[in-house]
Amino acid sequence: MNRLSVLKENGEKAFVAYIMAGDGGLDRLKEQVQYLQEAGVTAIEVGIPFSDPVADGPTIEAAGDRALKEGVTLEKVLNEMAGWTFEVKVPLLIMTYLNPVIKFGVERFAKQAKSAGVSAVIIPDLPYEHRQLAETYLKKEDMALVQLVTLTTTEKRLDAILQEAEGFVYAVTVTGITGARDEMSNDVRTFMRRVREKSPVPVYAGFGISKTHHVDLLRDDVDGFIVGSAIVQAFYEDKIEDIKPLIEAVTAPNPV
Amino acid sequence: MTKVKICGLMEVQHVKAAGQADAIGFVFAPSKRRISVEKAAELAKHVPAGVDKIGVFVNAALEEIERTVREVPLTMVQLHGDEPDELVQAISVPVVQAFSIRTTADAEKLGRSVADFVLVDAPGTDYRGGSGHVFDWTLLAGAGIDTSRLIVAGGLNPDNVAAAIGQTQPFMVDVSSGVETEGVKDAVKIKHFIQKAKGDSMQETIEKVGFFGKYGGQFVPETLMKAVKELEDSYTEAKDDPEFQKEYHHYLKEYVGREQPLTYAKRLTEAWGGPKVYLKREDLNHTGAHKINNAIGQALLAMRMGKRKIVAETGAGQHGVATATVCALFDLDCVIFMGEEDIKRQQLNVFRMKLLGARVESVTKGSATLKDAVNEALRYWVTNVEDTHYLIGSALGPHPFPTMVRDFQSVIGEETKRQIVEHEGRLPDTILACVGGGSNAIGMFYPFLKDESVRLIGVEAAGEGTETEKHAATMTKGTEGVLHGAFMKLLQSDSGQVLEAHSVSAGLDYPGIGPEHAYLADIGRVEYKAITDAEALEAVISFSRLEGIIPALETAHAISQAEKTAKEMNKDEILVICVSGRGDKDMATYAEKLEGLA
Ligand SMILES: Cc1ncc(COP(=O)(O)O)c(C=O)c1O
Repeated sequence: MNRLSVLKENGEKAFVAYIMAGDGGLDRLKEQVQYLQEAGVTAIEVGIPFSDPVADGPTIEAAGDRALKEGVTLEKVLNEMAGWTFEVKVPLLIMTYLNPVIKFGVERFAKQAKSAGVSAVIIPDLPYEHRQLAETYLKKEDMALVQLVTLTTTEKRLDAILQEAEGFVYAVTVTGITGARDEMSNDVRTFMRRVREKSPVPVYAGFGISKTHHVDLLRDDVDGFIVGSAIVQAFYEDKIEDIKPLIEAVTAPNPV
Repeated sequence: MTKVKICGLMEVQHVKAAGQADAIGFVFAPSKRRISVEKAAELAKHVPAGVDKIGVFVNAALEEIERTVREVPLTMVQLHGDEPDELVQAISVPVVQAFSIRTTADAEKLGRSVADFVLVDAPGTDYRGGSGHVFDWTLLAGAGIDTSRLIVAGGLNPDNVAAAIGQTQPFMVDVSSGVETEGVKDAVKIKHFIQKAKGDSMQETIEKVGFFGKYGGQFVPETLMKAVKELEDSYTEAKDDPEFQKEYHHYLKEYVGREQPLTYAKRLTEAWGGPKVYLKREDLNHTGAHKINNAIGQALLAMRMGKRKIVAETGAGQHGVATATVCALFDLDCVIFMGEEDIKRQQLNVFRMKLLGARVESVTKGSATLKDAVNEALRYWVTNVEDTHYLIGSALGPHPFPTMVRDFQSVIGEETKRQIVEHEGRLPDTILACVGGGSNAIGMFYPFLKDESVRLIGVEAAGEGTETEKHAATMTKGTEGVLHGAFMKLLQSDSGQVLEAHSVSAGLDYPGIGPEHAYLADIGRVEYKAITDAEALEAVISFSRLEGIIPALETAHAISQAEKTAKEMNKDEILVICVSGRGDKDMATYAEKLEGLA
């Protein structure tokens, strides 16, 4: 994950792509990762489907339901990734709700994720207070537990969370769930600036980023962007080329 | 808090009894408690997630240790021989190294240990400072052992463990023979030891903020943390504010119509031929069920916090109606999420909510029942958290909800306790209540938890039978996991996907159970039984005809179990059933299922 800090030092913006593992069948995961790394993304979040994804909007939930119908499980995803022989050129993250990890065994998860080449984990329903549950084991395997901060995170919590932040900080742009949106409120810029001033690690904006104008609006106040629903939907509709302009808008050298 | 390890387990029942410990030990070295790797692997299946499994070895080879770690699997290794540092360092899991301390030299050896934890074996120690052998703790202090690495063992038992912890403040205490009777582990002693080590009074454990034993917590997205913390603070303050309590009780009396009678069920008592049966009449509450006790309390709290918008979920529609009712009463904005399936089977309640001015949102995702309605309500809350209160309807969700809902429902048990003493001059022998998420049951049970003579039975829905896939019997069939903000018990698949529950009764059709119930089951204070759809429907008929009270389908589960339990009881005993609600809302189901009723 050091790569992310280097990128920041060079003034480049990161593009983190979220995909739902197993949407369209688990064999598609490999193609999707290959496609995205060739398209120039900085890192890839591999989402694990869950029956009750309360932090997600309709697009990701529907993708998760499709993956569950395909019989996709956390274990199958990790095994699939561990078996990859092509060169993975970008950091891979796992994004999962807590329950599948608990059922799998947190320690076993940490070990197998490590063997599968995962460098960080995001668990949206594991707040800072309970982080030891996973962090202890992830640390042992030298993996980061990426924390989320949101518009409702109080100043005191923000300080505490940032103090221990690893990898990058996932700054949520909306008071709400994941999903593509047209508008982004103006408070978001102030919030991003506040987080970025304090954060020892890069700050990436996520939730709702789906249009180049979102990127333009926030570009100067963040170190990168996380795009989920737009990518998930594009893969689902076989229109992934449509995402290229968005990737370019982020990763292109500073626009004049 | 000092952790507890129960060592030398050989049988499933003892592993289960040690479910509340932090670690359990399997002995692989020659000993009368030695077990095979295969046996340990089988026992390990019964060890809850989060409890460490520690293997005990004496001078074993690395390969043997590592193979055992993999095959059981073990999460830690404990060494009792003269293992060299290289071996200790080569082991892939955290290591405990054990030492017998007699001299300063022994203590220094321990001080130099490269293991993650050091275990001090001090047999024969009299922690109460009596006449027996007293271990010289200064030996350790001199060696600079930091207590966060220290595990104390030797001579511990339920009677001296609290004193030992007080004296040494170790990371963990380890017991084996102290929880045995005639050389064999004793489930009662194991539980007793854990209870003593973790703090004597049940109250203390229960009030540990946000957790009931290991269940509970606040497993919610970051966006909700501020709201959850604010709620926690506001509730803590309101709870102790006499004005707030006065207002809450005012509405319970003047609006809900409390207190409700504890009715002696004469014909039922005769028909069952066993104990005297009393009925706690929550069915007489305004809106027809216990749900309004909680809705009033939470609405008052929301207003106190300056929130005038309410979101809620509902299964049977009883909580939705209760919420819509208080929102009308206090002029609050109200959105209710309800599964499409439930909307179909609870038409009357949907109409009531609408008539009361609430917006009812149909949830078509997943099983389109209560679980999915909670998901949608949580999403709505995440999106509107700044001005909206989530008025959850059962003893579920992130802390403080399970505690708060229990407190608002405890009026049921408090009244019952007073009334039964008035009627009978003593406490009842058995109390039954149905459990969906668990709010009426916890409200009824809580005031009796410390009265150990009172047997408490929660009744969940067995649907078409617990041996089928169509049931909602979380206690009977569930395993530990996180859903809707809390660590609790769940019906889930091997890969951690929450399963759809099934019950003819919409109010019990939920694949989880509140964290406090999960805890009370583990410590054995409350028993949980399951009743099928068919049994519940039968109880509806007999109860209606014997007592002239048409019960809610949920309540009918408790009644059906009560009939079974009554058969094991004597005439001079007393049994109380919590009649959580009346059957008006279920009339369409009754008409359909009981068609041709003679
Ligand atoms: C009459 C009645 N009893 C019981 C329940 C189950 O809920 P709980 O377990 O929270 O008491 C419900 C839920 O809708 C209900 O309407």
